[in-house]
Amino acid sequence: MPRLRRYARSLLFDTGTADDLVQATLERALSHWHQFDQRRDMLVWLLSIAHNAHADQRRRDSRLSIVDPADVEAVQDATQADIGHDVGLRLDLTAALARLPLSQREPLLLVSVEQLSYAECAEALGIPIGTVMSRVSRARAVLRVWLDGGQRGDAVRQLRRVI
Amino acid sequence: MQPSDDQLSAWLDGELGAAEQAAVDAWLRDHPDDAARARLLAADRDALRSRFEPVLDEPLPERLQAMVRDGGRRAAGASAAAGALSGPRGWGARLGAALAGGQPWRQAAAVAGLLVCGGVVGGTLVWRFPPAQASLAARLSAQGGWVHRAAVAHAVYAPEVRHPVEVNVVQGSVAEQKAQEEHLARWLSKRLGLPVRLFDLRPQGFELVGGRLLPDATGPSAQLMYQNAAGQRATVYLRRPEAGADTSFSFARDGELAMFFWVEDGFGCAVVGKLPREQLLALGDAVYKQAEAEAAARPAEGASAPTSPPPARPGS
Repeated sequence: MPRLRRYARSLLFDTGTADDLVQATLERALSHWHQFDQRRDMLVWLLSIAHNAHADQRRRDSRLSIVDPADVEAVQDATQADIGHDVGLRLDLTAALARLPLSQREPLLLVSVEQLSYAECAEALGIPIGTVMSRVSRARAVLRVWLDGGQRGDAVRQLRRVI
Repeated sequence: MQPSDDQLSAWLDGELGAAEQAAVDAWLRDHPDDAARARLLAADRDALRSRFEPVLDEPLPERLQAMVRDGGRRAAGASAAAGALSGPRGWGARLGAALAGGQPWRQAAAVAGLLVCGGVVGGTLVWRFPPAQASLAARLSAQGGWVHRAAVAHAVYAPEVRHPVEVNVVQGSVAEQKAQEEHLARWLSKRLGLPVRLFDLRPQGFELVGGRLLPDATGPSAQLMYQNAAGQRATVYLRRPEAGADTSFSFARDGELAMFFWVEDGFGCAVVGKLPREQLLALGDAVYKQAEAEAAARPAEGASAPTSPPPARPGS
């Protein structure tokens, strides 16, 4: 349970929101567990439920706001405090993490903090292992640039456009 | 052949085959620049782990405890209803056990985290964060400048050779030192109006030198000074509890100084030093955990409470 809370927190930062989500997660795991095929790894099974639920939620969100989630993400990135121009301040770890697109943040957290293998992470997120590898690597590179601060402002701006 | 970014990252996670892993090892031995980058990436990874490590030690909120208690029963009941499983150790029991901590938590934890980002509350978009998290600058200014004062206090007193502290705990016999420590803790506790703990940073290689009382904006604050065998100094700045927003464990730079700071229940703490980020992080992490333990209602406990091991050194 503590590790569940940690992952939620690392994803959402706010304690209350994260715990809401922990609760929703447990509800879901408990009400769906009987579909579990015991020949499979419980981890993988749970992770795939998680991933589907996540995808559903994002679809709902995108319908509500009538835009593609990727666009929303881009807009939010742009409207978040423009740290690149803060007076000589480097971006701190939490803020940098928050700015990572979800598609990179999830695998980065699963691999770095929760210490899943690439294979476990790939199955959990429903993406190929090669994709896990490149997204984790990409996330690390972007974080590094942000944590490094303004000296490399060009790189940051460029990255922002890519996102 | 120079490893690609992907390879370097996979190397860090131990995901390369033995031959490839060895090839990257060899490359990094011969290319200090790339090795330095690998160390930075490792430090980032360790910083991420340390950043969220304290969550593991937090007490569970009641609503989640209740779910754990009910989890096994509900799952077992559902098992019977579904008729899918039988036997003394059905999945219901297993899941219940997992929720209660009897099974490796890694699985459920990772999973639940995923569900978590799916099960978003009330239509709020997942990736929207509280404004407090939006920018370090905003958070710093919201702190009313005490974080800056912590940095200034460090800059003023850390270079002092003869009078770095008001109460010195490294002079005299062992008994005198002990007495001075007790005096320092009592004195600062009384003046700040909160139990001041003399954090034990010896596992991180830092010995307590002593402490002093300082003026903060609305009253006294305290500074504890530590020094390692190399003569490097780090200070811990304690601010009296004040109304205002709590701030999670954060990193900032103020000129040459690096600092980790946080505010919990109004009580502000900053760990300051002219130290590499990872080294300071180890200190900040230790202080944070010890302060947490203190807050968790064990005020009688001495300064020799067990400290958790410092975050793993960046691998190489």
